[in-house]
Amino acid sequence: MAAPPEPGEPEERKSLKLLGFLDVENTPCARHSILYGSLGSVVAGFGHFLFTSEIRRSCDVGVGGFILVTLGCWFHCRYNYAKQRIQERIAREEIKKKILYEGTHLDPERKHNGSSSN
Amino acid sequence: MAHAAQVGLQDATSPIMEELITFHDHTLMIIFLICFLVLYALFLTLTTKLTNTNISDAQEMETVWTILPAIILVLIALPSLRILYMTDEVNDPSLTIKSIGHQWYWTYEYTDYGGLIFNSYMLPPLFLEPGDLRLLDVDNRVVLPIEAPIRMMITSQDVLHSWAVPTLGLKTDAIPGRLNQTTFTATRPGVYYGQCSEICGANHSFMPIVLELIPLKIFEMGPVFTL
Repeated sequence: MAAPPEPGEPEERKSLKLLGFLDVENTPCARHSILYGSLGSVVAGFGHFLFTSEIRRSCDVGVGGFILVTLGCWFHCRYNYAKQRIQERIAREEIKKKILYEGTHLDPERKHNGSSSN
Repeated sequence: MAHAAQVGLQDATSPIMEELITFHDHTLMIIFLICFLVLYALFLTLTTKLTNTNISDAQEMETVWTILPAIILVLIALPSLRILYMTDEVNDPSLTIKSIGHQWYWTYEYTDYGGLIFNSYMLPPLFLEPGDLRLLDVDNRVVLPIEAPIRMMITSQDVLHSWAVPTLGLKTDAIPGRLNQTTFTATRPGVYYGQCSEICGANHSFMPIVLELIPLKIFEMGPVFTL
């Protein structure tokens, strides 16, 4: 959750919570998944209706499409987000190591150059 | 700390809490989709014109609504178990602090490098300075270094208490006659608040926990030990 605003700062907008609990704006990948899910739902439902002219069944297909597309986008996005976080963590550690050990025998760049020249 | 009417989790100050927030987001999305499906089924039930009272079985549907929840539970259980085992990893703590719950205050012992022992009482409202937080600030904070694994040994002298700091993802029961251990590594400096999380009497709500996390270099200079 974001920190409360300091006095003098503009008030934060109330975040949108789907069904009252899913904070779409502050949860990574949620907005992206819900939007693609909605698009998938409309495409699947409307497409089914165009082929069959059955309203109720098309609504069922639409809801099923929403769930499947949302889930698919969610897992895909979260997987990439997790990979990105790991890369950020590795980069942060390497920068810290570089700052700490620059110029010493533990300098990561010296080790890397030494191994590549061999 | 939490702000007024906050419902969601606080920002993470430890890697475990970051993982917990990720898991929470993952589970919440699954819950949202299940709720959405149930709401739709409810809507269909309320708006259907079908009145067949002779349905005797629906084998395929019953198979689906048995297998699918099992799959959903596995999708939730696997990350959950991963985090559970992560919290139990041995990480060679640099510092051990003992925390003892009393009615209604905490005692902290820094016995690794000396014999520092102090009590931590909530600041009564009459003693608050401008800027202090009512019912949260204490007279003596627990000062700890960041980016160093810390072990907390938690127990109680009288009744059950619970030592909890939400931003670190910590909650450990303080049980009389038992030593519970929890470890954490804080990633950013600051002042972090928690409250007793096991009902322990009249002033259960008035024995907060305040951690002051400072850079290791400053901690080593010994601000804690000059009390």
